[in-house]
Amino acid sequence: MSDVLKSLSSDLAAVVETASASLVRIEARRRTPASGIAWSSDGVLVTSHHVVERDEGIRIGLPDGSTAEATLVGRDPTTDIAVLRTQASGLAAPHWLTLDEIKVGHLVLAVGRPSREPQATLGIVSALEESWRTAAGGVIDAYLQTDVIMYPGFSGGPLVGAGGGFAGMNTSALLRGVSVTLPAATIKRVVETLLAHGRVRRGFLGVSAQPARLPEALAQAIGQETGLLIASVEAVSPAEAGGLFLGDTLVALDGQPVRHMDDLMALLTGDRVGKSVTVAIVRGGEQIERTVVIGERA
Amino acid sequence: MSTLQQLNDELAAVASGVQRSLVRIVSGGSGVGAGAVWHSDGLIVTNAHVVGRGHGLQVRLADGRTLPARVLAHSQDRDLAALAVDAAQLPAIPLGRSRALKPGDFVMALGYPWGIANGATGGIVIGVGKDFPELPHLAYDGVVANLRLRPGHSGGPLVDFQGRLVGVNMLMNGPEIGVAIAVDVVKEFLRETLGSPVPETIV
Repeated sequence: MSDVLKSLSSDLAAVVETASASLVRIEARRRTPASGIAWSSDGVLVTSHHVVERDEGIRIGLPDGSTAEATLVGRDPTTDIAVLRTQASGLAAPHWLTLDEIKVGHLVLAVGRPSREPQATLGIVSALEESWRTAAGGVIDAYLQTDVIMYPGFSGGPLVGAGGGFAGMNTSALLRGVSVTLPAATIKRVVETLLAHGRVRRGFLGVSAQPARLPEALAQAIGQETGLLIASVEAVSPAEAGGLFLGDTLVALDGQPVRHMDDLMALLTGDRVGKSVTVAIVRGGEQIERTVVIGERA
Repeated sequence: MSTLQQLNDELAAVASGVQRSLVRIVSGGSGVGAGAVWHSDGLIVTNAHVVGRGHGLQVRLADGRTLPARVLAHSQDRDLAALAVDAAQLPAIPLGRSRALKPGDFVMALGYPWGIANGATGGIVIGVGKDFPELPHLAYDGVVANLRLRPGHSGGPLVDFQGRLVGVNMLMNGPEIGVAIAVDVVKEFLRETLGSPVPETIV
């Protein structure tokens, strides 16, 4: 009697207990503390950018109940990831799952440590789709959505699979009303960049713009229906130095088509910072080219 | 039989086992709550807020009988009440220990959500204790669980995978989060108010 239910119950509790060895409390904001994950056993921690409201005086709560100091290594608001470092020892780095180990329908736990003891909620994987871009322009390697409840303070904590592997880091700040998880590949990329440079570089042009339909003849000639109508050009910006004006319609950057704001965001990557790139614009009904040196967004 | 089918059968068995000890409490026409038979001689445990002032209190047992009830003890702080009905050989609910619960453990709550008889909701333990920053008024140990309590679940049993009582449903903290008073607190309450030793059903 009750064999499966008993095993299920004790397996879930065991998964939480195992996960908690890599789980810390992050005290870096005024309201409820949040959660963080040991990235490596030498003291590198990952958490959500939005729960780290201050750059100094950050404290963490460890699995054994003690607290320690942590310093901010860097943060990437576009993916909502922050990296901290602590001198505290005794944290275990988790095993991270690859995306092909995660299936829609799998049971998963969201685990957090907003107080001393670990806490957990249960759900299933709702969707696993291709990469997506956040409103702030960050690239997330896969769209991983679950129906786990994000209990207060769960941001920065792991989504844990039935075998105890970490499927990613949960955040409630990137999308409203759904629980999304950042996959391990995205965290790894951002952590390595932040450890090396202290920040994730993003390109900067210095314009505000909105999508606009191109005249039909031009649309056919260029092979795209829309471009970005420049609504303003910031003073002393790469766009101004490169000779872009209000009223120009941006149609390509560095040889790649620009149809929507998303296209431009995707092209303003860190590796283009400081480089001269060709910008194609429509001015007075004709397509012309200018050269712009991409700046770095502060 | 697949594992999922077996799981379904076991869940149904837990629910039907608990239903034998589940009672419906009607308090002076002010609404409906739930309770559980603590001891076969007619001792019933529920929330203080279900009992209200205790006027015109009636308990409907799982066997269909409706009996008048009187309040033996109550505690506003712990939101607990002990009632007595004049009946014997009632099926008492087996008792568990809330301190033994861990985050991730399966739990099920039963009651009369929106007046629906024997309404069950299942989920897992989020945490046990009173260290919940979002529940600053929790003065005694609670069991916070990832399940859907609704009005009418109040006072009803929260049980573990074996159907043992681990808490008394108390409040919902959002649509997906239920909070129960831990059964260890209930034992202490009964010891304090009814004297020692508290009658417990040994299983």
